[in-house]
Amino acid sequence: MTRSKIELGDVTPHNIKQLKRLNQVVFPVSYNDKFYKDVLEAGELAKLAYYNDIVVGAVCCRIDTSENSRRLYIMTLGCLYPYRRLGIGSKMVEHVLKYVHSDGNFDSIFLHVQVNNEGAIDFYKKFGFEIVDTKEHYYKRIEPADAHVLQKTLRPKITNGDTKTGEEKKDNEK
Amino acid sequence: MPSSNPLPPKENALFKRILKCYEQKQYKNGLKFAKQILSNPKYAEHGETLAMKGLTLNCMGRKDEAYEHVRRGLRNDLKSHVCWHVYGLLQRSDKKYDEAIKCYRNALKWEKDNIQILRDLSLLQIQMRDLEGYRDTRYQLFMLRPTQRASWIGFGMAYHLLQDYDTALRILEEFRKTQLKSSFDYEHSELLLYQNMVIQESGALKEALDHLTRYSDQICDKLSIKETLGKLNLELKRYTEAEVYYKDLLMRNPENTIYYAKLQEAQQLITANEKLKMFSEFQELFPRALAPRRLPLTFATGEEFRILVDKYLRQGLHKGVPPLFVDLRSLYKDPEKVDIIQKLVLQYVDALQKVCRFSEEDSESLPKEPASALLWAFYYLAQHYDFLGDTERAVSYIDAAIDHTPTLIELFVTKGRIYKHGGDAMEAYKWLDEAQGLDTADRYINSKCAKYMLRANLIKEAEETCSKFTREGVSAMENLNEMQCMWFQTECALAYQRLEKWGESLKKCHEVDRHFSEIIEDQFDFHTYCMRKMTLRSYVGLLRLEDVLRAHPFYFKAARCAIEVYLRLHDKPLKDETAEQEFNTGIETIS
Repeated sequence: MTRSKIELGDVTPHNIKQLKRLNQVVFPVSYNDKFYKDVLEAGELAKLAYYNDIVVGAVCCRIDTSENSRRLYIMTLGCLYPYRRLGIGSKMVEHVLKYVHSDGNFDSIFLHVQVNNEGAIDFYKKFGFEIVDTKEHYYKRIEPADAHVLQKTLRPKITNGDTKTGEEKKDNEK
Repeated sequence: MPSSNPLPPKENALFKRILKCYEQKQYKNGLKFAKQILSNPKYAEHGETLAMKGLTLNCMGRKDEAYEHVRRGLRNDLKSHVCWHVYGLLQRSDKKYDEAIKCYRNALKWEKDNIQILRDLSLLQIQMRDLEGYRDTRYQLFMLRPTQRASWIGFGMAYHLLQDYDTALRILEEFRKTQLKSSFDYEHSELLLYQNMVIQESGALKEALDHLTRYSDQICDKLSIKETLGKLNLELKRYTEAEVYYKDLLMRNPENTIYYAKLQEAQQLITANEKLKMFSEFQELFPRALAPRRLPLTFATGEEFRILVDKYLRQGLHKGVPPLFVDLRSLYKDPEKVDIIQKLVLQYVDALQKVCRFSEEDSESLPKEPASALLWAFYYLAQHYDFLGDTERAVSYIDAAIDHTPTLIELFVTKGRIYKHGGDAMEAYKWLDEAQGLDTADRYINSKCAKYMLRANLIKEAEETCSKFTREGVSAMENLNEMQCMWFQTECALAYQRLEKWGESLKKCHEVDRHFSEIIEDQFDFHTYCMRKMTLRSYVGLLRLEDVLRAHPFYFKAARCAIEVYLRLHDKPLKDETAEQEFNTGIETIS
C-alpha cells in the first residue's frame, strides 16, 4: 500500500482561512488580524503542512532583530491532534532549519512554550533546542501562564534571550 | 449580369468597386462609390446600387436605412438577381431564414446557374433541414462544378441525410476513386471513415467490415479503426475476432468501461463467476486500474460482493478518495448491498478508533492505516446516511469528521448538502459559504456556494459570489449570460419564481432559451467549415445533436419554470398596477 505523503505549501490570501481554522483548534490562544496579515508577507517563513493532500499543520515564523542579534522566532508551529507523531512537525522544523542555514546569517532560533507542555519541550530538544529562560505570567488567559523560552544556538557567541523576547506572543494575543 | 437598367462602363466600374469593398469590409469606401453613382440623376434610382448601398449600411449597423434602400432597390429592379440576392442576405442576417430562401429562389429565377447564390441557398437549406431542397441545390452545384471536392461531398451527404444510402454510397465511392492516396492524409482518412459510417448506417455490416479492413492502412485514426472493427465483428457475431479487438483496446485503456462490457459480450460470459474471472485477470494485468475493480461490484452478490466491496472500500479510504461514495452510490439500488456496505464501514470506524486498522484482527499483521482513513470513513458514513434520508446520523458523522479534521473543505460542502436534503436551504448555504471561504481560489466550491445561495433566494449574494470569477469591468450577471452559464440563470429564475417576481423569473428563462437559439445559430459556420476540413463524421454528429438540442435537461428545467410562471399569471392575472409595471419592466428586456 502507498505511503502517506507529507508536503509543505504556501499560505496565500485564498487559503489563509484554513490557517486560521487550524490555529484556532491547535492553540489555546487566538491570534489577531495583524498576525495573519504579516503571515501573508512572510514567504518561506509561513507554511501549511499537507498530509495526503489535507491541511493538518502550519508553521509561522518571523525575524527578530532585537538585542543586537538576528534571530528567527517561531510564532506558531502546530499540527491537528489526530495527525501528531507522524513526522509532520519534524518536517516543519526541518524546513525552518534549512531556511536559517541557507540564509546563514541567524544567531539563533527561539520560541515560547507553555511550561507544562512536555511533549513540545521533548520535541524541540530532539532538534537541539534548550530551555534558556522561563517567563512568568507570559500568557494572559491560559493556565499555567508561565512559558519556557526554548532556543537553538546557531552562532556560539550569542547568550540567552533576556526580558525583551518575552513580549512576542503577548503582542499577538487578542 | 443582365439587369433591366445596365450601367455605362464608368458607373459599372464603380459598382464593381462597391462589391469589392463589401467583400473586404471597407464599408465606408463602399458607401462613397455608391454615392458617386447615385448622385448622377440618371442613376439616382438604380436598383442594384441602392441594394448594395443597403447591404453595406446593414453591415454598419444601420438596419432601418438598410431595409429601406434594399427594398427600394428591389422595387426598381425586380428582375435583377443581385437585388434579390442582396435582399436574401439581409434577411439572413436577421435570421429570417424562410424569407431569405424565398429571395434566393427569386434570384435564381433570373440567374439560375449563379454558384454563389446556389451555395448560399444550400447553406440555408441545410440549416433549416430542408433536406429535399438541399439535395436539389447540391445536385445543381455538382453539375456546375463537378471537379470540386465539396461538390461531391455535399451531393453525397445530401443523400445520406435523406437516408438514400445507395445513392450516397455510389457518389462517395466514385469520389473516393478519384482521390490520390498519399502516405499521411488526414482528410482522406476522414473521408474513408465517413464512407464507412454511411455503409454501417445502411445496415450492410459485412460490407462495412470489409471496407474498413481494406482501407485500414490509409486511416490515421487508429483508435477509431479498432473500436469500429470490434463493434462490427461483435454485431456480426464474429466473437473470436471481436474479443481480440477489445482485449487490444483494453491494453490501450484499461479504464474504459464500455470495452469491458463489449468484451463480456464477445466472450459470451453469462454467469457472475465467469465475469469475475475475466475482471480478475485484468486486475492482475493492471493493478492500478480502477474499472476492473469497480465493475464487478455491480453484478457480484452476497458473500462475493462483501469480499470485493470490502477490499474496494479499504483501498479508497486508505488512499483518501473523496468521491468514493459517489462512485458506489449506484449500488444503493440494492438494499442488500447497502446493508453490507454499512456494516463494513461502521466496523472500520470502530476498529480505526481502537487499533488504527480496518479490523481488529489486522492489528498484528498489518501496518497502521494513515490518520486520514478514519476521517474518510466518517465522511463516507455522513454521505451514506444522508442518501438514506437519515439526517440525524448524517449530521453526527459529518460533525465527527469536522472535529477530526476541521481544515478539510469537502466536509463543509457535505454538511451543507445534508442540510439542503433536509430542506433547510438557509443553513445549507451557510455551510457552503464556510467552505468557500476556506479556499477562495476554488471555482467549483465558489459555484456550488452561489447555487446554494440561490436556493436560499439570496440572488444578490449569489451574483456577488460569482463575480469573483467573472470578467472584471462588467456586471457578473451580464458576464454569466455572455458565457451561457445556464445553471446559474436557471437557478436564478427559480429563485425569482419562489419570490413571486414573475417578470424577473421569465427574463432569466428567456435568456436560457436564447442560448439554445444561439447554439442552433452557431451551426451555420460549420456547414462550410466541416466540408472544407472533411470532418464529416463529426459534422453529421453535430447536425443530429442540433436536431434534438432542446431535449437537453437544461432547457427542460428553464422551460418548465417559464411554463409555471405563465400559467400562474394566466390563472391569477396581476391586478395591482405597480406590480404590473414591475412585471413589464422585467419583461421588456426579453428579446
